[in-house]
Amino acid sequence: MRKTDRYRYVLVLVGLVVLHFTVRERLGGDRIAPDFLLLALLIYTIRAQPGRSAAAGFVIGLLRDALTPASFGAGALAHTLVGYLSSWAKAVFFAENVFVNGCLFFAGTWVRNLIVLVASGRLAGAQLGWELLVWSPLQSLTTAVVGIVALWLFGRWLTVRRAEA
Amino acid sequence: MPLGADRYASRADTLLFLGCVGLSVAAMSLPDTWRDPIAQGLRQTVLAPFLALQQQTELLSAARAHYDAVVAQRDSAALAATFLPELRSENVRLRSLMGLGTRLGWGYVPAEVLHQPEPTNPLAFIISAGRQRGVRPLSAVVSAEGLVGIVSTVDAQTSVVLTWAHPEFRASAIAGDGSVSGIVAPHGAAGPGVWLLELQGVPYRQQVPDGTVILTSGLGGVFPRGIPIGTVVGLAGEAKGWERTYLIRPAIHPSALSHVMVLTGTRGSGTDIRGTFQADSVRP
Repeated sequence: MRKTDRYRYVLVLVGLVVLHFTVRERLGGDRIAPDFLLLALLIYTIRAQPGRSAAAGFVIGLLRDALTPASFGAGALAHTLVGYLSSWAKAVFFAENVFVNGCLFFAGTWVRNLIVLVASGRLAGAQLGWELLVWSPLQSLTTAVVGIVALWLFGRWLTVRRAEA
Repeated sequence: MPLGADRYASRADTLLFLGCVGLSVAAMSLPDTWRDPIAQGLRQTVLAPFLALQQQTELLSAARAHYDAVVAQRDSAALAATFLPELRSENVRLRSLMGLGTRLGWGYVPAEVLHQPEPTNPLAFIISAGRQRGVRPLSAVVSAEGLVGIVSTVDAQTSVVLTWAHPEFRASAIAGDGSVSGIVAPHGAAGPGVWLLELQGVPYRQQVPDGTVILTSGLGGVFPRGIPIGTVVGLAGEAKGWERTYLIRPAIHPSALSHVMVLTGTRGSGTDIRGTFQADSVRP
């Protein structure tokens, strides 16, 4: 990996974080707008090892918990699990393909929401069903679409080269 | 190309993962007295620039919307200025459109809602006003339609609002005509009544017809009297011979909010502010 690629890689991740706090609310309701912060984590896990991915997930999750106090700790747990599993599964199972990565983004977002909802215990019954079967898939879809676009635009900078990462 | 799994089964990775999971579970188990200071510290340090960025974006968006409205009003005024009577009627109309802030007059702080894409966001969210603007814990949070929730934690620049959908939310309430009183609480998560409230503790002998407007009673001193909470849409249940519980359709859903007002002024215990809200905010 060239040295400039490393900086560009970081730039893409920082750009996603900035997008999360600026344009996300213009892209639809809270429940369906793409989650740029989670997307940055998932893109990070493409290159990072599972331990680092879990740690990054924990940090991001804890920060998000500070913004959504109704489920403190649940976000940290969810992002830790998603970060670790994404990095591990990416290495073991997934081929390098934009569509496959899109599926990874979709599944990562949905699983994150599932864990947050179950771990926080705040919602149940029909409310939980609506969140998991309607709103979460929609948010996962928009997140996956944005992720695919990001990979399409910046794929060369985000290329998986674990041996060099 | 798939990468070898053997590279990713290192003991360090596993230990780091288990450590993070352990810390997460510990965070979930923390009591509120520990949890709030940690969350507050994170919001005031690491997250402060990001929240400021989000707030500026909200202001920019609002400014754009206001600009369009101002241009439209200017065009209307220019057209109406041709005829003085029309200009006068235009003024009357614009005055009638002035918002809740004008009607409240004093003792409020406007704030942007900084929504987050978490499923639990409608239960509690961050607003862009904090201690520096006079917000205090237990301040009532309202919109032009009615009651939104209550401030639970206050930082320097931001505050945390527990909405009426939060399981711990409670408000003392009365019917619009003062005939019935009770406690309003979230209806719960199961069944077709999600995102509804319920009026608990209504004496069995008193019946509340559908369409009755429910307001805050002012008892307890947390909420001023007269903030619209919602309208009665049916009977939720009854304890035989003892009390009835009624379903209430809330005046406003937390997800639909972009701006709110925090009531900060100390109003007299007998002050009724129902006249400051839109007449049709809780349409039967």
